[in-house]
Formats: sequence, structure tokens, C-alpha cells
Amino acid sequence: MAEYFVARGLPVPPELRRTPLTDWRRWSAIGATLAVLYVGVRLLDIDLSRANPQYAGTRIISLLQWDLSILTPQNEFETFWDTAGGLMIVTIFLGVVATAISIVFALPLAFLGARNITTGNPVASAIYGVARVLFTVMRSIDVLIVVIIFAVIFGLGSAAGVFGLAFHNIGVLGKLYSEAIEGIDPGPSEAITATGATRFQVVWAAVLPQIVNPFISFSIYRLDANVRLAPVLGFVGGGGIGQYLFQTINLFQYNKAGLIIFMIVITVAAMDFASAQIRRRLL
Amino acid sequence: MPALLEIRDLVKVYSRDTRALDGISLDIRRGEFVVLIGLSGSGKSTLLRCINRLVEPTSGQVIFEGSDVTHARGPDLRRIRTRIGMIFQQFNLVKRSSVFANVLAGRLGYRSPWRTIASRPSREDVALAFENLERVSILEKAYVRADALSGGQQQRVGIARALMQRPQLMLADEPVASLDPATSHSVLRYLEEINKTDGITVICSLHFLSLARRYGTRVIALKAGRVAFDGKPAEIDERRFKEIYGEDAVEVEIGVNRTAEEQRADEARKVLDPRALSDAATDAAVVERLGPGADR
Repeated sequence: MAEYFVARGLPVPPELRRTPLTDWRRWSAIGATLAVLYVGVRLLDIDLSRANPQYAGTRIISLLQWDLSILTPQNEFETFWDTAGGLMIVTIFLGVVATAISIVFALPLAFLGARNITTGNPVASAIYGVARVLFTVMRSIDVLIVVIIFAVIFGLGSAAGVFGLAFHNIGVLGKLYSEAIEGIDPGPSEAITATGATRFQVVWAAVLPQIVNPFISFSIYRLDANVRLAPVLGFVGGGGIGQYLFQTINLFQYNKAGLIIFMIVITVAAMDFASAQIRRRLL
Repeated sequence: MPALLEIRDLVKVYSRDTRALDGISLDIRRGEFVVLIGLSGSGKSTLLRCINRLVEPTSGQVIFEGSDVTHARGPDLRRIRTRIGMIFQQFNLVKRSSVFANVLAGRLGYRSPWRTIASRPSREDVALAFENLERVSILEKAYVRADALSGGQQQRVGIARALMQRPQLMLADEPVASLDPATSHSVLRYLEEINKTDGITVICSLHFLSLARRYGTRVIALKAGRVAFDGKPAEIDERRFKEIYGEDAVEVEIGVNRTAEEQRADEARKVLDPRALSDAATDAAVVERLGPGADR
């Protein structure tokens, strides 16, 4: 490239004057990356000597030899809701209910956490700050940890799963919603304010119509994510099919575990597909 | 007769160095069509927004119909605002909502917040909305989404929304700056109509001097936050024009069809405006331009 400028007697742009090989910054970046990786590998002490291919092979095969008995009640004490199918449905609804709860709480909080709505005096600014910090805290605690804490409060089972998932999701949706509110066109709000409307009426008439679509979009996205998270929550005491899967793995019942994993994969894939379709049609 | 609107020593300081308004005092009488002119940044928008407190003035007083706007709080301020309509350069409609919903929103100031969500709009409000839509000749678009309308149509919806307030005063913040010359005339004719028929006082900021001359009964020019001129439109001659817009400013024409009446008005103006002599044939909307390289 530099020749182009030299041949025409033009000054060579500084970007072209440095050739890649003499660029010490590039070499130091590559060097630093390699050093970090080296230290990391040494610290991790990756040890493959304990791998047992023969054992793993038989286990993987048994994961595929599904035990279909888990799909039907096995004795007079069990009902459909104790079978893998029933628990799968319970788990889906665990995600659905958690999303619904979090929408109810995130919706009003999002307006408090939006700069362009909660503004005008020091009290409003303080409320805005509190709402934003709340979202960040709720979001930054990983959902598995939240469910562990909630399992201590509510005991093992669906209650811990639903409330733990909802708690985490309020933080996520609150942030997404409030950023959608902050991104609206301020013109209509100004116009409605000028008609003598109250702040609430301004939100109702000028803000809400503008955010309905992003709200629906974010809600479906989180519903999708929550249904995907729900099966995992059982591992830490959140109930549903995850708890069952955890049991079968601990009991080395791999032909049951394999079928459950397959059911989860199908459910998550279906959910993924459905949410993409709904969002595409809706918006 | 006391003035409809009194502005006393109005000052607005945005930050340490920007004095958007630097002591404005004005009396606006009922029925006037006041045109605000001045360069961008001269304080036109700020002045208009201080009148209904969309912008909080730093000091000074605004008195509307005898009540002090600058110190009104909560319900008092909102009651004053219901009597002052406003239209905007960017129309400020809720684009996703229907024209009808947008117009109806102009009535919110008269409705309690809980009624806004709890009940359907009253029969009178609906009737008034249709009446005002008809007034700005846009009735057939009532159920169309606002963003499906052209700029001129959107501004007419804006006027209908403001009329829902049954205002005494109409503020218009560069209502035609986003519109082409022909559409500009159509929108301004509606403002002229409500000014003459309903006696609604209009304060309208404009960038086109010829529009100011055509529609204004009084022209107020702002320069760096102060009143640089206040008088009849015809009094703005070459010298005053340069005072307002600076020595380098030139009037530039853009073509618009004119009525015979307007052309006669131009003939009469020649005596006062030396510029009209040279280009009377095509004289039309006049755009101000600030010397080479400064065009916006």
C-alpha cells in the first residue's frame, strides 16, 4: 500500500508507515496472550491420566439405551406428575411462572430506573439510583446461587426454583425494560406534558405506546431463557425435572438420565424455535 | 385591556457560559399572530418553552391570563398548560398510535389520571376530536397510524391535538421547518384560520422571513437572547434584516405559488423593502443564509 503513495510523491499516511513485523505493540500483545495461557495451563494442572475410555464408552452407550419405564407411573403411589413427562411439563411451567412473576415486578421498577422518567428532583434521582443498583445486584448474582439461597429459605423444591429464577430475572428484565424506556423518542412526552397532563398520563399516553414492542420482545426472550434454565435449577434444589435428573446420575442410572437429557434437549429446541417464530410474527 | 401574556425580565442560563435568554420583556395581546424570528440559537425555542415551563426559566416572570406561570406548581401549572396549546417542528406525535388516539391525547389535561386508564374517552371528547380532525381536513385519516402520514398531515394532526385543549394561546416552535414551502403555507393557513376565527393568540417561530411577513401581525426578532426588533412585519427593511441576521446575511428565494392578494401585498412592500424591487417577479418564500460556508 505504501508504494502507492511513494510512487505518486505523496506523503505516506502514518497507518501505513508501520509494517506489521516491526510493530512492537503487536508482538507484545501476542507475547502477553501466550504468557497468560501458559500460566493458566500450568495452574490448572490438566491431568488426562485419570480418563478411562473403556468405562466412558459403556456409560455413553447406556445413556442411549433409554429406560422408558420413567415415562409411566411405576406403582400405586405414583401419578403422571411423578413421571419424567410430568416433571418436564412442571419444569416448563416453572420457567413460565417465574417469568410472569418477574414481569410483574420488573415493569413498574423499570420506570423508576429510567433516567428520562424518574427525573426532575433529588428524590427522583435517588430513586433512580436505587432502582438501577437493585437491578445490577439482582442480575449479578448467578441464578444457581440465588436458587441455593432460596432453597435454604423455602426448602428444596419448586418454590426455591420459581422464586430464585424470578428474582434473578427481575434484575435482567428491569435493566432491559428501563433501557428500552430510555431509548424512546422524547418528543411525544414533551407534547403531552405541554397539554397539562400529569406525569402518569404522559407515561400512559406517550411512553407506553412506544415501548410495547420492545417489552414483548424482551419478555419472550427471557421466557425462552428461563425455560432453558429451569431444568438445571433442580441440581441445586430448585425442583422439577432437574432434581430427578440429578438423582438418576447420582444413582448411576444412566439409561434413565439419557432419556431425561434427550427430553430436555427437545424441549429447549422447541422453545427456541417457538420464541423465534413468535417474535418474528409479532414484531 | 391587560395583555394575555406578560413576560418580565426572563432569563434562562443553561450552563455558565450560555445565556439562552438574557432579559426578555414582552406583552402579548389577545388575538395577535406573533412571529418569532432570529438565528438558530438566538433563544426562540427556549422562550417558547419557558412560557409553558417545558423549560424552567432561571429568573424573571411569565404571567398568563393574570396568573404567574413561573411560580405555579403541580395542578396549578397543569391547569395553565391546558390553556396553552403547542405544536412542534418534529410534530411529536406518538408514531405508533392512530391519528385519533393522538388527537384525543390533547384532552388529557382535563381528565383525572385514573380515568385515563379506567374508562373509555367520553362522548364529548370523541366528538371534539372528530370536529378538530375535520377542521384540519384530515378526518378520513382518523384511524391511520400517525407515522403513515406525510409531514404536512402530521403537523395538522399536531394542530388538532392542540385544539383539543381549547387553548387561549398557541405556541408553535418552528412548525414548518421540516416541511416544503407549499406544505408550509398550508400549515400556516390553518394557524392563521384558528387565529382569526377562534381568536386564539399565536406565537410562532419561523425561519422564513417571507412567511413571517405574510402571516405575522407582529414580528419579534431575537438576537443572542435579547429582543432585537419588535414591530410590524413591513418594518423589517434591509438595514433591520442585517441587524438581526448579521452583516453577511443574504435573503435567498425559493419558489412558491402566490395568490394575487399576496402579490399585491408585495407591490405595496416595495416602498419599504429595497430588496423586493430587484426580484419582485419571483419573490417568494425567503430563506436567510449566513454567508458562505455557514449554511445549514
